[in-house]
Parts: sequence; C-alpha cells; structure tokens
Amino acid sequence: MTYPADLAELIEEFQEVEDKMERLEMVFDMADEVIPFPADQWSAISKVQGCQSEAHVKVELQDGKVLLLSGADAKLVQGLMGILSIAINGSAPAQALLLSPDFAEEMGILNSLSPSRSNGFRNMFDKVMKEIRVLE
Amino acid sequence: MALRDDFPILKREVNGYPLIYLDNAATTQKPQVVLDAMNEYYTSSNSNVHRAVHTLAGEATEGYESCRTQLKEWFNAERAVITSGTTEAINLVAHAWGRANLKEGDAIVLTEMEHHSDIVPWQMLAEERGIELRYVPVMEDFTLDMEVYAASLTNAKLVCVVHTSNVLGVRNPLEDITKLAHENGALVLIDAAQGVPHERIDFKESKADFMAFSAHKMCGPTGIGALLIQPDVFETMQPFMGGGDMIETVTVNGSTYQTNEHKFEAGTPRIAEAIGWCAAFDWMSSLDLREEHQRLVGIARWVAQQLREMDISVYGRHEAGDSAVVSFLHPTIQSEDLAHLLDSRGIAVRTGHHCAQPLLHRLGISGTVRASFYLYNTMDEAELFIEQMKYITGRFG
Repeated sequence: MTYPADLAELIEEFQEVEDKMERLEMVFDMADEVIPFPADQWSAISKVQGCQSEAHVKVELQDGKVLLLSGADAKLVQGLMGILSIAINGSAPAQALLLSPDFAEEMGILNSLSPSRSNGFRNMFDKVMKEIRVLE
Repeated sequence: MALRDDFPILKREVNGYPLIYLDNAATTQKPQVVLDAMNEYYTSSNSNVHRAVHTLAGEATEGYESCRTQLKEWFNAERAVITSGTTEAINLVAHAWGRANLKEGDAIVLTEMEHHSDIVPWQMLAEERGIELRYVPVMEDFTLDMEVYAASLTNAKLVCVVHTSNVLGVRNPLEDITKLAHENGALVLIDAAQGVPHERIDFKESKADFMAFSAHKMCGPTGIGALLIQPDVFETMQPFMGGGDMIETVTVNGSTYQTNEHKFEAGTPRIAEAIGWCAAFDWMSSLDLREEHQRLVGIARWVAQQLREMDISVYGRHEAGDSAVVSFLHPTIQSEDLAHLLDSRGIAVRTGHHCAQPLLHRLGISGTVRASFYLYNTMDEAELFIEQMKYITGRFG
C-alpha cells in the first residue's frame, strides 16, 4: 500500500531499528504528536475497548479535515495514537478512510507489542475509522 | 547453579537477551523430568483410566492414581480430589459442600486479600442462597485485621482465606485463623495456590477443612490441581458434576455414586497432567524447600529494598514466611510501559490487577508490576533485574 509521505518516512525509520527498547522509545516519542483529549472529558463513549490501560479517542472535523484527539495513561498507547494522528490528521475523511492498519505491522510495532496491546491498537484504529465514517 | 540445567526453557533468549523469568506467581517453569513423563505417557501408555482390563489402561490408571497417592503423602491428607486447578477446587467446595450445608442467613467470611477465584464463587452462591459475605480488611502493614476477623465470625459457617497473597507475598496467620474459626463453629478453606510452592504444608496438622491449589505453580503442568478435604467433612459433600467415572450404577430411574474421591471427578480426568505432576513432586522432593524458600525471600527482600531506594513504591513486607513476590509501582513510568521495556531486555514480569481487585482497591491503586522469584532464580538475575530497572528509570523516568 502507498502511504502519505510523512507516514512512509516513519515506517522506514522504524524498520531500520533492530533493538526492541529503541523501537519502544521511538513509539514513546510519537506521544508528542498527539492532540490531547483531556482526561476530564473521557467517557464510556470515548473509551477504546480491549486496551489493558485507559485509552480514549474523539474525532472532529476542522475545515472539513480530520482531527484526532486522544489520550491514554500509558506512554506506549499515547505513542500509537501519535502515529495514527500523523497518518490521518489534516486528511479529508474519504482519504483517511483509505488508510490500512497494516502500517503498524510494517513499522514492526505490532511485533514488539503484546497480543492484547496489538488488539487494542486495532480496536483504536477501528473506532477512529468508525467515527470518521459517521462524520463523513 | 545445577538446578537451572533441569529447565530447558531457561536456556532461551528473549529479544536477544538471556531470559530472566520473574513471573513465577502466575506460573512456574517445568523441569525436563515433567516434560519427559508426560511425553512418555502419550508415547507409550496413552489410554483412558479405570474400567478396562488391557495393559495400557492399567498403566494409565496406575499413573493417574499415583498422583493422588503422591498428594496424600506430600500433604499428609486422607482425601485428595484431583481438579483442573485451584479455581475448580474452590468452586467444588461452593457447589458440593456449600449447596448441601449452607442456608439463608448463614455467613461466609472472606478477606480483602483473596484472589477473584476465592471471591466470585462465593458471591454467586450468596446471591443464589441469600448468604451474607463478610470481608476482613487488609491494614496498612499489609496484614489482615484480626480484630475484625474475630468479630466477623458470629453465625459464620465458612472462612475462606488465602494462604499467601499473590500480590503482596504476605503469608497469613493460618493457624490462628483456623483455631478461631473452629472455636466459632466455622469450617476453613485455604486457597494455597501461592503457599504450596514455597512451603511443605501438613494438611492434617493444619486442621483446615479444605485446601485448594494448582500444580503449575510448583513446577507441574497447567490444567491440574487438587482439593484436600478432611475425612469427616468429605462425608457431608454431595457430587455436583455428573457424568462418567463418578457413578456406581446408572439405570433409567436414577444413579448411585462412588463414595471415594471419584464422585467429584466426573469425565475423563487429566491423566498426562497427573503423571507430570507426580514427576514434579519427585523432582521437588530432592530439594530442601525450607532452605530454598529462605534464599528466595532473601532475594525478594533485597530487590524490594533496592526498588525503595529508587523511590519506587513497594507493596509487601518480605518477612521470613512470606513468598518471594515483589509488587511495585514507579512514580512516573506506567506499569505496562515498564513491563514492555523490561521485556525488551528479556525480563518477564507481570502487570495489572493480578485478579485481586478488592485488595488493590484497599491499597488505593489499580495495578502493580510484579516480579516473583522461584527455585531456579538466582541473585545474579535479581542484580540484572535491578540493573535494568536503574537503566530504564534513568532513561525513561
């Protein structure tokens, strides 16, 4: 699959790193890319099911473009949210919906996470896509 | 450490680093003799137990029943029902004893330290029968409030208490708990899942009425455990799971049941697992468990101290009788993040609520990181664990 330039570059960067701790640290760093979704606004509706830790997302349209707000208590989850933000923020909904969750696997992130966390990522991805579909 | 050579899994690497397995309170590794015994059974003797005259069935029956003999000898018990594990053993008490002996208005005393396996079956029975559940609180020093316990025994018919907390490693004063319960006419069920791996328990001497535990936390296979029952209590229990093996006769008008432990073991039992557990007992019998336990608690105490010096909150006291479990929370690094980082260096720990949410609620936290040590763990591993903890907290804290 062809990815947006920013994401394609990120995938390449991850693929170059063999050490798992370094790769985890790179995911942690991606937490900075998150547009914060304040914890006081977290609710049962915003909660991502299937994550071992608390994770919440909310999708808005700003000038017709996708804006993902997200928050989590684990840095690793925040990092995964940051990567998803890079992939979809600023895109038209129709374009964002073309994104495949396979990018996380191509980055070697899913391999470096526990199955429950990987499922959590997939659940987060599916929830975000569902919200975009509603807004489209 | 020659003992480690008996465990093939300890030779593997994880993420390019030698495996340091510190998740023993969840399950322990299996020595080669256990793997060999199970493989030998499936390779040479596989057959169903009981009621067949052919040679293989005889070998399978002998293997399975030798597990029961081994259990009775190891724990000095007269009745040993083989179950799928601690959880099934406790559910067996709830169904086979509870339903036959408890009525509306009776009370069961539990503690806040219990594993969910020793809470949920009682909540289900309480809802069904109108039974009151009373919980003994855990105090700030991580011990049970024995004054509240004593006061909670009025009208209590059963006391359910964990031998050793799977979160704190604290060993409860079972002797006092049992004595007080009996003085007040209550029976005692001990959840010994975390106790039997560390302590050679004499069931008869303990005077507890029931004791439940699993094989896999003491170097045996998963999927098998036992319920020890004092003989007089055994006679007051009714079978709850019907099927093959537990019957004496079956007619279209009704059935009669076995009178021994088989009446609680409906269906084809866990034959290979029983044989594997026997091998684990044989293997453990060559060790001085008391000495090993002291060594492991010493390691846990050292680890706990090192973590405290790093401003990490440690839950537990690590006294002589406690198990070698160290539960902790880092002030800034989230538990799962920490566990992932440790895993990247080959170190296996567990995170979460450890199936003890009431205890964690009492402690005011939602989970911990838990490092738990067992027979094959060494001080060198503990030092490497602390070394990695220092590195990770320095880099990510």
